[in-house]
Amino acid sequence: MIKIENIVKVYTTGEISLTALKGVSLNIGAGEFVSIMGPSGCGKSTLMNVLGCLDKMTSGKYILNGKDISDLTDNELAEIRCREIGFVFQSFNLLPRMTILENVELPMIYAGIPKKERREKALAALERVDLSNRIKHRPNEISGGQKQRVAIARAIVNNPSIILADEPTGNLDTKVTKEIMKIIQKLNDDGTTVLLVTHEADVAKYSKRIIHMLDGEIIDDNKVIDRVVF
Amino acid sequence: MNLLENIKMAIDSILSNKMRSFLTMLGIIIGISSVISVVSLGVGGQDTITGEFEKIGVSTIRITVKTTEAETSDYITYKDIQQLKEKISYIKYATPVTYQTGIASSEKKSRTAMVYGTNEDMQYIDNTELLYGRFFNNIEFEERRAVAVIDETAAKSFFGTSDAVGKTINVGPNTGTKKATIIGVAKSQFEMFGDMMDEEMPVIVYVPATYLDILYSKESKISELYIMADSKDNTEAAGILAKNMLMNRHGNRERDVYKAENLMKQLEQINTVVGIFTAFIAAVAAISLLVGGVGVMNIMLVSVTERTREIGIRKAIGAKTSNIMFQFLTESVIISCIGGIIGLIFGISGAYLLGQLAGITPSITPQIVIVSIAFSSAVGIFFGIYPARKAAKLDPIEALRYE
Ligand SMILES: Nc1ncnc2c1ncn2[C@@H]1O[C@H](COP(=O)(O)OP(=O)(O)OP(=O)(O)O)[C@@H](O)[C@H]1O
Ligand SMILES: [Mg+2]
Repeated sequence: MIKIENIVKVYTTGEISLTALKGVSLNIGAGEFVSIMGPSGCGKSTLMNVLGCLDKMTSGKYILNGKDISDLTDNELAEIRCREIGFVFQSFNLLPRMTILENVELPMIYAGIPKKERREKALAALERVDLSNRIKHRPNEISGGQKQRVAIARAIVNNPSIILADEPTGNLDTKVTKEIMKIIQKLNDDGTTVLLVTHEADVAKYSKRIIHMLDGEIIDDNKVIDRVVF
Repeated sequence: MNLLENIKMAIDSILSNKMRSFLTMLGIIIGISSVISVVSLGVGGQDTITGEFEKIGVSTIRITVKTTEAETSDYITYKDIQQLKEKISYIKYATPVTYQTGIASSEKKSRTAMVYGTNEDMQYIDNTELLYGRFFNNIEFEERRAVAVIDETAAKSFFGTSDAVGKTINVGPNTGTKKATIIGVAKSQFEMFGDMMDEEMPVIVYVPATYLDILYSKESKISELYIMADSKDNTEAAGILAKNMLMNRHGNRERDVYKAENLMKQLEQINTVVGIFTAFIAAVAAISLLVGGVGVMNIMLVSVTERTREIGIRKAIGAKTSNIMFQFLTESVIISCIGGIIGLIFGISGAYLLGQLAGITPSITPQIVIVSIAFSSAVGIFFGIYPARKAAKLDPIEALRYE
C-alpha cells in the first residue's frame, strides 16, 4: 500500500537548512492502523505531509498503491489527495463560512461528483461519524468533538484508501478522545488504512502498530500487544 | 468542478463581506456609468445635430459671392438662377437669399424685422411647414407682388391669432414701409423657445426677392444662393456644376469669387468634432474604470491573504491549482460584472437626466449595453488574474500553517 524508501526532507530558511527527515524507510500494508509517536520536532508531521502528498520530499522514493509517485506534478498530487487520501488535522480545519454539510461535500466538488450524489454521500459519511443532526449549522456553532467528526466525515467522503490523522485528539478531552478513536477504529475495521500521529500512549493503544521517531529517524517499530478494542 | 459551483461560491464570498464588496464595485460603477452617459449623450448629440441638418436638407448647397473680392458684375442675377435650374439636371431647386433689416407692423403692433427675399423654391429647401395658406408662387415672384409669409409667433404678435392669411402688414425699411398681404403662416422655426421669444427679437418675413428690391428700391445684388440637388449623391456634383456655370456666365473664372459649401460636409465636420470630444471625455471616464479595476485587484489581494488558510484546506482536500485560480477569478469577474450592471443602470439614468437638461435624447444601443458588460468582465479578468494566480500558487503546507 505505502512503501517509502530513504525519504529525506530538508527545510531551507534563508541560509539555515534543517533536515527534518533523515532517510526514512517504511512499509505499510492495506488495512493497517499505525500510530507514529515521538518528541516534539522529531518530524512526525513532516512525514505525514510527505505521505499525504501535501509536501514534496527532497529525495527518496514513494510508492503508493503500487505506483511510483515520487516525481509527480502539483496537479497529479492534487488528484491523489482528492481520491486516495483523507486528512484529519488537530485543528479541524473546517471552512467557517460553510455549513457542516457543505464542508463534507467540498471534496466531492473537486472530485467532480454531481450535486445529487454529493448530498447522498455526504449524509452517509456524516452517518458513519454519528452526526446526523446539526448539519445545517456552521462549524463555530458546534463542539470540538463534533467538529472533528465533521472533519473525519469530510476525510472519508471520497472513499480514500488511507486516512492520515495528525494528532486528531490533541485539542479534545479524554471522553471525546475516546469517541473519536472509536470512530477511527471502526473506519479501520471497515478496511481503511489509518496513520495516526499522537503524543499520548493511551491513544496509540487503539492502533495495531506503533512507530517511534527521534530526530528525523524511525527508531522503533512494534506491533501493539495490549491493544484496546471497543 | 463546474462553473455554477464556482459562481455560487463566489457569490457566497461576496455576500459574506457586503460592504467591502460594494465599495470595491463602486470604482467600476463610477467608471462604467460615466463612460455610458458620456458616450450615449455624445452619440445622441450627434443624432440631434444630424436631425437638425436633415430638416434643412443635407443635399443643400449654399453658394456665396466673396463680397470682399467681388465686382458689381460678379453678383448673381435672377437670370443666373433660372439658367442653373434649367441647364443643370442635378439641380432640383434653387433660390436667391437676400435679406434686409427693417420694420414690420400691423395696426396693433410694430416690430423690427428681418425681411428675406427668396423665390418659391425656398419652401422646399428650407422645409417650411405651412400652418395656414401657402408659400408665394412663381407668378407672384415674376410680377413682384406684395405678398408675404410670416411665422406663427409673428402672426400671433401682430394679429393675436395664428391664422393671419388675408391680413395686411406694412413692411420695409424704417424710412418707408409698403403694404404686403399675408398669404401663408409657417410653423415657427425656433420651437424650442416657443412663446418665450422676446418681443424685442426681430420677426422674420419672407417676401418674393423681386418685391424686396421694390421695398428697398435698389437693384438687388444677390450674394447668396441655395440650391438643392435631386439626390444626396448628386449634391457635390451639383455644387461644382453650378459654380462652373456661374463663372462661365460672368467670365470671372480666373478670380474665383464663388464659394460652394455643402451642408453635408459641415455636418460631417461638426459630427467629427463632437465625436472627438465624446471620445476624449469617454477616455477620461475610462481611466476611472481602470482605477476601479485596480481597486478590485487590491481587494482580491487582501482577500487572498485573508483566506490563505482556506486555500490551504481546499488544496489539502484535493483542489487543483486551476480550481483555486478559477475560484478567485470568478469572484473578481462577478464583482466587476455586478459593478458593471449597476453602472449601466446608473449610466443610462444619468444620461437621460442630463439629456433632459441639455435637450439631447441619449442614444442607448444594445452595443453599448453589451460592450459595457463585456468590458467590466474584462476588467475583472485582467485585474483578477494576478491575485488568483497568487492564490493558486500558494504552497498547501505553508497555507495551512498560516494563522
Ligand atoms: N516549514 C518549515 N520550515 C522550516 N522548518 C520546519 C518547517 N516545518 C517544520 N520544520 C522543522 O522541522 C522539524 C520537524 O517538524 P515537524 O512539524 O515535523 O515536527 P513534529 O514531530 O510534528 O512536532 P510536533 O509534535 O510538535 O507537532 C522541526 O524542527 C521543525 O522546526
Ligand atoms: Mg506535528
